[in-house]
Amino acid sequence: MRQNQSLTGSIDWPLLFVVLLFMTMGIATVYSTAYNEEHPSLFDFSMVYGKQVMWVGVSLFLGLLVFLIDSDIYRKFALPIYGFSITLLVVVLFMPAKNGAHSWLGIGDMGIQPAEFAKIAVAILLARVLSDLNVNQQNIRTVFVTNVILLFPMALILLQNDAGTFVVFTSFLFVMYREGITYDPLILGVVNRIPGIRFKQTWLGTHFIPILFVVIFLSITTLLLSKETITLDIFPGEEIPGFYGMVFFLFIFCLLGYGLLRLILSKRDRGRALIIAVLAFVLSTTISGAVNFGFESLQPHQKVRIELFLGIIDEELADEAKDGEDYNRNRALAAVGSGGLTGRGYKNSMLANTRTGHVPESETDFIFCAFAEEWGFMGSMVLVVMYIFMMLRIVKIAERQRSRFNRVYAYSVAMILFYHCAVNIGMNIELAPVIGIPLPLFSYGGSSMMSFSMMLFILLKLDSQRKDVLN
Amino acid sequence: MKYDSRKYVIITFITLIGIIYVLKLFYMQVVDDTWKLRAQEIAEKRREITPPRAVVFDRNGKKVVENKTYYNLMMCEDEIPEDFDTLAFAKLIGWTKEDVKNRIYNIRIEQDSSWNRQKKIRESNYRSYRTYPFLKELTADEMSTILPHLENFPGFREEVSSMRNYPYKSAANILGYVAEAGPEDVGPRKFYKNGDLKGRTGLESYYEDYIRGQRGIQYIVQDAVNNKVSSFEDGQYDTTARQADPIHLGLDIELQQYGEKLMQNKKGAIVAIEPKTGEILTLVSAPSYDPNYFVGKKNINKYYNELVNDPNKPLYPRPLASAYMPGSTFKTLQSLIGMQEGVITENTGFPCNKSVVGCHNHPSAQSVTQAVQMSCNPYFYAVTRRIIHQKKSKNINEDAAIGLAKWAEYMHSFGLGVRLPSDLTGITPGLIPDPAYYDKWYGHNNWRFSTIRSISIGQGEVQLTPLQLANVAAIMANRGWYITPHVVKSIGDDGPLPRFRKKNYTMVDRKYFDPVVEGMRRCVHEAGGTARLARIPGITMCGKTGTVEDQRNLKSGNLLKRPNHSVFICFAPMDDPKIAVAVFIENAGGGGGTWAAPTASLIVEKYLNGEVKDEAKEKRILDAKLSLWE
Repeated sequence: MRQNQSLTGSIDWPLLFVVLLFMTMGIATVYSTAYNEEHPSLFDFSMVYGKQVMWVGVSLFLGLLVFLIDSDIYRKFALPIYGFSITLLVVVLFMPAKNGAHSWLGIGDMGIQPAEFAKIAVAILLARVLSDLNVNQQNIRTVFVTNVILLFPMALILLQNDAGTFVVFTSFLFVMYREGITYDPLILGVVNRIPGIRFKQTWLGTHFIPILFVVIFLSITTLLLSKETITLDIFPGEEIPGFYGMVFFLFIFCLLGYGLLRLILSKRDRGRALIIAVLAFVLSTTISGAVNFGFESLQPHQKVRIELFLGIIDEELADEAKDGEDYNRNRALAAVGSGGLTGRGYKNSMLANTRTGHVPESETDFIFCAFAEEWGFMGSMVLVVMYIFMMLRIVKIAERQRSRFNRVYAYSVAMILFYHCAVNIGMNIELAPVIGIPLPLFSYGGSSMMSFSMMLFILLKLDSQRKDVLN
Repeated sequence: MKYDSRKYVIITFITLIGIIYVLKLFYMQVVDDTWKLRAQEIAEKRREITPPRAVVFDRNGKKVVENKTYYNLMMCEDEIPEDFDTLAFAKLIGWTKEDVKNRIYNIRIEQDSSWNRQKKIRESNYRSYRTYPFLKELTADEMSTILPHLENFPGFREEVSSMRNYPYKSAANILGYVAEAGPEDVGPRKFYKNGDLKGRTGLESYYEDYIRGQRGIQYIVQDAVNNKVSSFEDGQYDTTARQADPIHLGLDIELQQYGEKLMQNKKGAIVAIEPKTGEILTLVSAPSYDPNYFVGKKNINKYYNELVNDPNKPLYPRPLASAYMPGSTFKTLQSLIGMQEGVITENTGFPCNKSVVGCHNHPSAQSVTQAVQMSCNPYFYAVTRRIIHQKKSKNINEDAAIGLAKWAEYMHSFGLGVRLPSDLTGITPGLIPDPAYYDKWYGHNNWRFSTIRSISIGQGEVQLTPLQLANVAAIMANRGWYITPHVVKSIGDDGPLPRFRKKNYTMVDRKYFDPVVEGMRRCVHEAGGTARLARIPGITMCGKTGTVEDQRNLKSGNLLKRPNHSVFICFAPMDDPKIAVAVFIENAGGGGGTWAAPTASLIVEKYLNGEVKDEAKEKRILDAKLSLWE
């Protein structure tokens, strides 16, 4: 039986402190951003800052509840929680759309976004599945189950037309990677059908996170090159599309790789080196080609968005987009830039506030630029460092868990936070495309505030009871 | 555990992103200014207030140019809402709905297009966020009917502006005109905004920087729909508009008006200069026009074509741009150069030998003074021959080139053959032929004095503008120097531009002027003088007439012979010159003494005495219709 510890006995104070600090800073920033002279009170509930105070209050109350409830409940009820969450995701599809997305469940202004809470449900179920005693990461069943857990809500969220949250769900791949899940069984199942090939394992399936980056790198390089044309002296006047240059480079790269492998590997493995090189070339060319030609078939506005992000857009289109497609991002970047070293001062922003209204959504998804404009580089740097600190702290917490359930859950929280921060801040500083997801614990909004608080308080609770469990 | 090392992949990844983001933030917020500038572009707006242009006074403190207030109805397309009631607006200004739409379309077209170097295309200069004048030059009455309702029509606002007014209706060529600044002058970094006036010619253009004043600038922070939110940084960068100090002219506006009146039904020019200061007292271009014709679109539309198509060419600034042969007035200069070069003395005499060049009947001149008085052609033919051929080279042609070069140098020192650096626009240099000029005509070393002899009596290739002629008169009055003629006596209280304070000395010494000036006195006052009609009781005047033959070979080979030009230069009083005048009347017929001399004397009398006593003389000039007037 468990020891009855005091409520706060082994709580992780640094994490709790930084969470509360974020909430306070968030309220302060929402207040200064949406400040209205006719409603000067912070507790004016007709204003967003009043509501934000209320949401933080509700969140803290939920946090308290979480602390009162035994942490074992999540493990026990992981499947019902997941089921409930999925039900909500289905129900929400039949609700009227708000801003083009069916993601809002509730009456009038009060309501929640089930997708925000689905993250917690997925994290819990994933933790539960992976912590089962007889689980084997190399097992095809494990790969299958974990991916179904993940893909099911993702599909529903995609149906809601909420691309932002959809992307966030890929953060669980990092967790799976950390836990040693490998896609090898799936890949081997396909590859080994080719006559003459018999792999025991592939680097591809095991190290899918590094692979993911290679794919992203490959895609971006392809897109950057797709705008270029190459002229050769041998074929004067001929303009060769940049994609063929890309293929040529991949070929050279694989050829060199093969040569290198031949030097390193023993005679017996040299045959494999050729297969690996050929496979690598075929796969990378396929990906590159898919990206290159897939990009052409995108909707014009999607293309513009990606081109803007990559900076490969024609100047003329960029000028046009400045007051159209790129309006928000352009103003947000200007707001960040106008902050300078020390900022324009609290409540003294020029662009990112609701009074001048140059940056729409400056109290929600674009709140980072409001903070950066007011506090300058000094402030924004502190904010970034605080977020990085919080994530690393959670990773540290995760690594000290004895229970695998706790560790998987903690990693899930860390990676979800990481995605939100990286994308949200990134889109304010030209490093990520515009995807509408909130800045954790900072942006105005009830659902995100409550879901992030619950997520973190559950983590704090699990961590405070980490010594009670063996597994 | 087997996969524990993978935590480092994740930790490294998080840390790396953090570092990249901080570096990027540092670049965006501290190092790079691009986004800061973009922020200013988005949020700050300069509201510019243009002050009225400086008023202009004449030398007696009379207001020559003033400002009249009027109103513009300005339009900014971006501020016009979707649900704008075009019909009601059209009704308010008394138009139809189509008129309004056409006007907006026309504003767009009027802005021209320019080459965009970045995009490599031509694009319209029209910007929907800029403000353009929709209706121009409304009077207070017209505006008062519109103004009370204007708040119902966002995107439109009134703007008080000013328009030039010329109460004396004269001196158009001096004052010049203003017009709306063109697209090339309008812009965020330029002085003008749409609808602002800019000087185009004359004084208005030359002194633009001194006349336009200091523009007021107000910085405001605006919101996404262009409403003012606050003044920027509490207005500490704002400046107030300031009208420039008045411009004071050397011009005597009443004398100018009188001159224009005298020149009615004639073509030509009168230029009067105060010799001591170089200030232009009067500069008449005949025929002239009312400068108010160029004020405002309405007037321009009404009068412009008429003025352009007038066969008498009123828009042509004759005193500045029209170069004429100076005729005998040129002889004064030849005598001065001859004496300075030492080829004659004041007592040198030449017989009036009509076999070399035609002359009228008079006794042979025994001195420079007599020669000037009687305007003896053979005398100056001889003088000029001596100037040109000084036997400095054995080759007679080379000798002529050396002599002519020196002669041209003298002439340039009198401000002839060069563009006088005055403050008027449209000045031409006239022509003083030099060796290079004749080399082009006749071939190198292929000409000598006999080839070019007509220049000795101010005919042939020599050409002077009336302004230069008047300047010659001023040089005579000053006995050897001049200040570049100019119209602005003082910018505010600062005096004229520095270069109009400097004396320019000619290459002829002071002492050689006396015999010539005496000859000029005799021209007017002694029997046998050519300018007897110029006499004014009680004023000692020095003058020199000129009669210029106007004939040229037509392409058909016929000789076109038209009545003579009548020229006269003078200054008075002789010992304390207050005014130097040049009068040039095209194709007046008769001689310089017939028309130009009496006209000049009327100007001198009017200026020195304030009134003209000899009404008969005045009437004769006023009634005369000369110059093949059409």
